[in-house]
Amino acid sequence: METLDYLLPQVWFGILALFLLLYVMLDGFDLGVGILSLTSSSEERRGILMTSLSNVWDANETWLVLMGGSLFGAFPLAYSNILQALSIPIFIMLFGFIFRAVAFEFREQANRKLFWNFAFGAGSFLAALGQGFALGGVLAGINVDADGHFIGGVWDWLSVPSVLVALTLIQGYVLIGSTYLIWRTEGSLQETHYKTARIAAITTLIGAIVITVITPIFFESARDRLLNAPLVYIFALIPIVGVLLVGLLWRSLNQKAEKMPFIWTILVFVLTFIGLALVVFPYIIPREITIYDAAADPSSLVIMIIFIGALIPVMVFYNIYQYVVFRGKIKSEHYGEV
Amino acid sequence: MDFLSDTLVLSRMQFALTAIFHMLWPILTTGMSIYLVIVEGLWLKTRNKDYYHHARFWAKLYVLNFGIGVASGIPMEFQFGTNWGPLSEAVGNFFGSVIGFEASWAFMLEAAFLGIMIFGWERVNPVIHYIATILVAFGANLSTFWILTANSWLQTPSGVELVNGEYVVQDYFQAIFNPFMWNSFLHMFFATLETSLFVIGGISAWYILKERNVQFFSRSLKIVLAAAIAVAPLQIYIGHLSGEQVYHYQPTKLAAMEAQWETIPAGETAPWSLLALPNEKAEQNDWEIQIPQGLGYILELKPTLSEPVKGLKEWPPENRPHLLGLIYYSFRIMVGIGFFFAGLMGISVIQWLRGKFSPENLQQQKWLMGGWILAAPLGYIAVESGWIVRCVGRQPWTVYNQIRTSDAASNLPSQEVLTTLLGFASVYTLLFFAALYFGRRIIIKGPNLELPTPAEVAAIKTTPGEFQPDERPLEAKR
Repeated sequence: METLDYLLPQVWFGILALFLLLYVMLDGFDLGVGILSLTSSSEERRGILMTSLSNVWDANETWLVLMGGSLFGAFPLAYSNILQALSIPIFIMLFGFIFRAVAFEFREQANRKLFWNFAFGAGSFLAALGQGFALGGVLAGINVDADGHFIGGVWDWLSVPSVLVALTLIQGYVLIGSTYLIWRTEGSLQETHYKTARIAAITTLIGAIVITVITPIFFESARDRLLNAPLVYIFALIPIVGVLLVGLLWRSLNQKAEKMPFIWTILVFVLTFIGLALVVFPYIIPREITIYDAAADPSSLVIMIIFIGALIPVMVFYNIYQYVVFRGKIKSEHYGEV
Repeated sequence: MDFLSDTLVLSRMQFALTAIFHMLWPILTTGMSIYLVIVEGLWLKTRNKDYYHHARFWAKLYVLNFGIGVASGIPMEFQFGTNWGPLSEAVGNFFGSVIGFEASWAFMLEAAFLGIMIFGWERVNPVIHYIATILVAFGANLSTFWILTANSWLQTPSGVELVNGEYVVQDYFQAIFNPFMWNSFLHMFFATLETSLFVIGGISAWYILKERNVQFFSRSLKIVLAAAIAVAPLQIYIGHLSGEQVYHYQPTKLAAMEAQWETIPAGETAPWSLLALPNEKAEQNDWEIQIPQGLGYILELKPTLSEPVKGLKEWPPENRPHLLGLIYYSFRIMVGIGFFFAGLMGISVIQWLRGKFSPENLQQQKWLMGGWILAAPLGYIAVESGWIVRCVGRQPWTVYNQIRTSDAASNLPSQEVLTTLLGFASVYTLLFFAALYFGRRIIIKGPNLELPTPAEVAAIKTTPGEFQPDERPLEAKR
């Protein structure tokens, strides 16, 4: 029983991290393309941008729904506290989602597309902004009482670091969105996104460096852990690998490679994510609530491993399958339709 | 205007608003998915192109609903945490895990295959496409299953033990298959199906009356009528079973549904209240029209009752549901619509049996077609009314008899909840009218009967099965 009490929450921490990583990568390019659509020069181009997402956006967003449901079931205390503390960023994200989700169909139907174009781009931006604030807010910590109940204010999440995290996350989404478009489009549209990818690579790198530097300064909670063995070696390594990956990304952009920029960007995301997970673990709300405090009863965690965990390979399989079905360059707005 | 500074009231209003709005869209995407499975199957079997065009035409309305359903569904999930944090903490072990099951079993399946179903006609072979359509329908209805499981558990919590303010699951099987679960799921399953059938039937009748594609739409009218023969009576029967369960498990709700103030002891005749004006202050109905022995026949098929029907006065006011008029009339509206559907189905079947259902004859039957058009929006009203009875009727409890709604809400500042409430209200109003507008345009435009089948497209293209894009440079197109 003792071991189970530790093992099960750890397994669920791992599964949730996986869901969040998949979400951030997949909906990351989705939202990134949305933000990029704000800069599109023509209706035709915007059409292609949206077409490149039309069959995947819903599945991409579903990873967040899955993450939310799993967090609710596996760590009810964390779900309750995180969402209460971050209610404002969460609502910013939700309103963003609403606008961008309906824009896909409404824009297609509308004669005058201006409003729905804006709904799509601004909605994507708001969703990314809300997520960035939420991430920054969790990392900065949440005020709870001795029983682990939220006692902070609704604006607690707003701080210099959370603004930085939000801005960097948006840059990261624009980067992965650009590299996705390099992969899925061609011609002048592809050229444009070689340019946006370069700009976003630089801004993301700057953001990442600033955050890395300020983390030990602002996030007291992380300081001791980060600057002591064994984590200090890992944290010395992550920035080095990170810079190396960005270098490889830069080279692939210069070589006009089509798929590699996307793959290098994904690896940058994975690396960042490993870093974040290590900063947070074994806390789910840093320095306040550990995964063991917040975990549901073992009975629930076991059933959820069977009902959710076991389905992960299946879910991944049919997601991959649909990417295979819709492979190839997108040239026309009416992709897949007659 | 005190309620404007009352977080609890505002959070309840927000949940009600977002739930009522969200519910409008999945009705069609779950119910109509079954119709799409039927017409695509008929196409594969008969190779009649009309069925293919049915699949393509109705799918347009389907997609329109789908996007709004997703957009309004995500806030539902996150609201449990933001506005109902204490509840989430208490019920997370079971309720949260079921929300997770819904995402992993149902949503992902639906989301992954929807793309193939909508955009994949020329990209996969017809059998794979049909499998995708079936999986979308299966996923959508599976989601009904899990959501109704979660909600039923709040109504009749079982299989759990309360430890330190948290429900720990003792027996998952018992918790999932809680007393309300099967009837509630089936009632909702048939509700989405029945509403969709009458939406499809109503739109078909409109085209028939307008003399547009009469042949084509008499086909869909017949399909939905054939399905309604089974669905309409079954739904009344399952609704009846649900009512009996409320009688046993949630006596406060039954008393509110019937505006019954005084207890009717066992062995006495129980009248059924047809119309009434409940007065909560005076604890009586100001006036009432009753059907003698009605309630006895409804609950037990005999004039007298073997168990008492408890009246509201049995409970102190703080343990009773309020908004009695809303509960009482919502229930009657739902039941009335259920019987209207059954009646419309019955009359239509008689006409069909009399041979009056050929395309030419249908055009002549203006009253019958008018009835079908009238029926199109009614299902939505019935579903919303049913949910109002279900959720307003269980007040003041969120977990029936165990957690009060007032203890379930997060302690957010009222200004914040008011802001998000107004935000949802204005955004959802915009979306509602936009959806009506675009839906109307799709209907006015009508089906494209010239659309080539995937096989015909493949025959035109040089390499079969491969996507052949427009090769002109971007700027040259359109």
